[in-house]
Amino acid sequence: MNKKMNIIIGSLIIWSIAPLAWQLYTSFSSPEALVEPFSQIKNRWTLENYIQVLTADPPFWKYLLNSTIVGLTTTFITLLFAIPAAYSLSKLKPIIAKSARLILFGAALFPYVLLFLALLEFARYLNIGNNLIALSIPYSALSMPLAVLLLSSAFKDIPKDLEEAARLEGLGIFQRLRWILIPLIAPATSSTAILIFLFSWNEYPIALTWISKNDLLTLPVAIARIAGSSVYSIPYGAYAAATVLGAMPLLLIVLLFQKQIVSGLTQGAIKG
Amino acid sequence: MKLKYLYLILLLVASLFFTISWAYSTQPKVINILMPAPFADSTSDLIKRYNDEHRQNIQIKVTRGPRETEAVSDLAISSLLLGRSSFDLILMDVTWLPKYAAAGWIAPLDSFIEKADWESLALGARIGNSYKGKIYRWPLAADMGLLYWRKDLMKNPPRTPEELIDISLKLQNEGKVNYGYVWQGRQYEGLSCVFLEILNGFGGKWINNSGDVSIGSNQSKEAAKWLRDLIDTGVSPNAVTNFSENESLQIFSSGQAALMRNWPYAWAELQKPSSVVKNKVGVTTMVAKKGYETTSTLGSWGLSILSTSDKKEESYNVISYLTSEDAQKELFEKNGYTPTSTSIFKNEKLIKDFPILNALGNALEVAKPRPQTPLYAQLSDVLQRELSSILTENKNINDSMNKAKEKTSQILLASGEIE
Amino acid sequence: MILLLLLPATVLIALIFGIPLIRYAWISTHAFSVITGLELVPNQGANWLRLINDQRFWQDTFQTVRFASLSVSIELLLAICIALILDQKWRGRGITRAISLLPWALPTTIMALGWRWIFNTPFGPIDQIFNIVGIESINILSNPNITWIATVIADVWKTTPFIALILLAGLQSIPNDLYEAFRLEGGKPIQAFFKITLPLLRPYILLAVLFRLAQAFGVFDLIQVMTGGGPASSTESLALYAYLNAMRFLDFGYSATLMLGSFFLLVIACILSWIIISRFQYQLNEEKT
Repeated sequence: MNKKMNIIIGSLIIWSIAPLAWQLYTSFSSPEALVEPFSQIKNRWTLENYIQVLTADPPFWKYLLNSTIVGLTTTFITLLFAIPAAYSLSKLKPIIAKSARLILFGAALFPYVLLFLALLEFARYLNIGNNLIALSIPYSALSMPLAVLLLSSAFKDIPKDLEEAARLEGLGIFQRLRWILIPLIAPATSSTAILIFLFSWNEYPIALTWISKNDLLTLPVAIARIAGSSVYSIPYGAYAAATVLGAMPLLLIVLLFQKQIVSGLTQGAIKG
Repeated sequence: MKLKYLYLILLLVASLFFTISWAYSTQPKVINILMPAPFADSTSDLIKRYNDEHRQNIQIKVTRGPRETEAVSDLAISSLLLGRSSFDLILMDVTWLPKYAAAGWIAPLDSFIEKADWESLALGARIGNSYKGKIYRWPLAADMGLLYWRKDLMKNPPRTPEELIDISLKLQNEGKVNYGYVWQGRQYEGLSCVFLEILNGFGGKWINNSGDVSIGSNQSKEAAKWLRDLIDTGVSPNAVTNFSENESLQIFSSGQAALMRNWPYAWAELQKPSSVVKNKVGVTTMVAKKGYETTSTLGSWGLSILSTSDKKEESYNVISYLTSEDAQKELFEKNGYTPTSTSIFKNEKLIKDFPILNALGNALEVAKPRPQTPLYAQLSDVLQRELSSILTENKNINDSMNKAKEKTSQILLASGEIE
Repeated sequence: MILLLLLPATVLIALIFGIPLIRYAWISTHAFSVITGLELVPNQGANWLRLINDQRFWQDTFQTVRFASLSVSIELLLAICIALILDQKWRGRGITRAISLLPWALPTTIMALGWRWIFNTPFGPIDQIFNIVGIESINILSNPNITWIATVIADVWKTTPFIALILLAGLQSIPNDLYEAFRLEGGKPIQAFFKITLPLLRPYILLAVLFRLAQAFGVFDLIQVMTGGGPASSTESLALYAYLNAMRFLDFGYSATLMLGSFFLLVIACILSWIIISRFQYQLNEEKT
């Protein structure tokens, strides 16, 4: 552990936090302080920005709630579909499984923003725009490839004998899944779940085109709509307060589930 | 376990929706208007008074849109594309109208409009509200390009392109100003507005009446050359190619330029105490070559009823209220919005208090719209690009304008406008 | 039976990924815009002709490639350093990892708005610092030559942690014995990096680069919120242009054409980078022998 290393680590931490810290600082700044961030001003600090954001119509927590709803339903639907699929994939003949993986990998790479137009037509055709639950259908599909890849590698790691023994005991395929296999892949499932949740919480282009009602907006779209004004003469204090409030839940998620996120990402890399 | 909780959450959300929709159905009729933020602020007094008067039956609810023009349109379009919009009225920029009308999103107003009311509008205010012979919009505030000039530096404003350059060079040589003329030269919509005025002043057209592309004409090349000459001769600063309205106004209000092209809002800014040129500014319309008419590009905002609205009658009443002569007067006095009725431009008392009103009325007489096609945004983008390359990269004017013509035709072809 | 379990997921993926691409191919040969009353009218490839001649499309392609290649290369370099640090054992490693992960976990729009404020002229901190130091303001967000670099910085900030974690996984999979053996043979640490670490890290680098390249190619959120594509559409990406064509210009035919066009370009870019990284590996192998 030497000095050079400390400096590098220190700058890494500063680089990661500084923009966030600046938002935090801005969010507590009075309008006068905003204009002159580095000068001495009497009324530097204020809570006004937060009050403004929380009492707006609709109040800010509504967006957080909307994003949470979409996040939870998406995670649920994705896992519901992905676990059986991943199991099945781990049992297929290697040659088929390999090509299936390749296709899934391609789909996971695909910049899905390019799908928005067809998905918009889809929403209009089925009349499911402005519906948070419906929004989790495309979200589930978009997070499916990664989820299946992660889970199938977890299934593969389970010793064959274990399942074989259960089969000889007379357990059917669903029973085996429910009582033996799913509990065994619980760690992989939880990290997959968190990655899915993060994805749908943060997703922007699809939500932008599927939701137009103000009180149904998810957090990223609400933030972007706030930003849809010119760079000059806009109440940045309030925007900063909104970004801080919007970042809070994720801060918690990252701190609480750091291990799962890291293992989810790294498992994907090692097995993928 | 997890499943159970999810169903519980779903149930809660669903019941919340039902409660809200039920609560809405028992209230007085609400007319929902989408407006850009500045308009929502300036009309808030008018709307508050209306709501107080009609407490029982109609209430106006204003959705305060973003500040930026295009962002408001994006918001409206995203709700219209999904098929169900919660808005009844939308405050529209003149360039959106053909697009919205062609998409079938806004309802024709012809059946509501009284002939006498229509004829009370100034000629320029009547333009830009129709598409394919039907009226879709009622103007709330007119807006048109103006030429601001320094009364203390010249007796009369220039009327021809040659005069403009002569006067400017003379004043610059005498050291009275740094720059002769400032305008909007950045690659954005403002450049198209500037060019349209000059193009007409040289006798040219963008797209002529029969829908033919005439942007590659000799007149268009002369007009583009004149704009470049402004920079080459030093009449306009090099930086003008990065100017929008604000930058031009900053230069002009600090007394560094003799002439400026801008919109009516600049007048109020120039009368503020911080302006060096307070009381020294006159207003007229853009220069034109001898034998051609002076033109000012029509801006203007107006209200349209969405086709999906089930309260069209009530919505039209709201339009009438917000655009009545009293409302126009109030918006002009408080916010400097250009009125639309002829009678207001003739109001002696108002002219006495606000001398600019005459000039605004004259400009509105010669106002011309930008091409009224749903494809306007793409066409304008092509023009802006070519003009910008002429102004900033010294591209060959002939080639650039021919290219603009070719690309314009391609857009019309690909979108199905021409077979 | 086992295939049956695969069915729901397959159907969903085919529905959301497959059908749109087929639909785009169909739409792209038609006029499908506000002019045609949002009906499909065949237009004999006029969309594709327009695409080829569309200056804005090629400018956006250039911008997208420029953005993607610069940000992915910077991210890769930084990520290798970060991964090397995080691979060692030291006190506070866990918390540092969590902190460095934070930018990646936040919604892009939140920090795009934040960066817009940071780069704002004249009130943002960057401009203020320039002011104090005495450098003339450079209008970061309104100068077409500079703004795109600001977007690269924002992208690097956000996605470096992601690459770093993938590379970290790669580093941890390299057995320590290899280094040990190399050291005993008298190799220097720096040589070990080039002879052992880098070659063995190659699949992870390839994975990260492909993944990030595809994402950066489809960059949308960041640009839309931070600059809106401006000034003078100098930061406009292909995805944003396609979005504008659909949502602003109501020209779905051309928008679909743009998206298919970008997709083809992306496939080419991925294949190219695959080849380049494989070559690199080949050269390293040559050196070793």
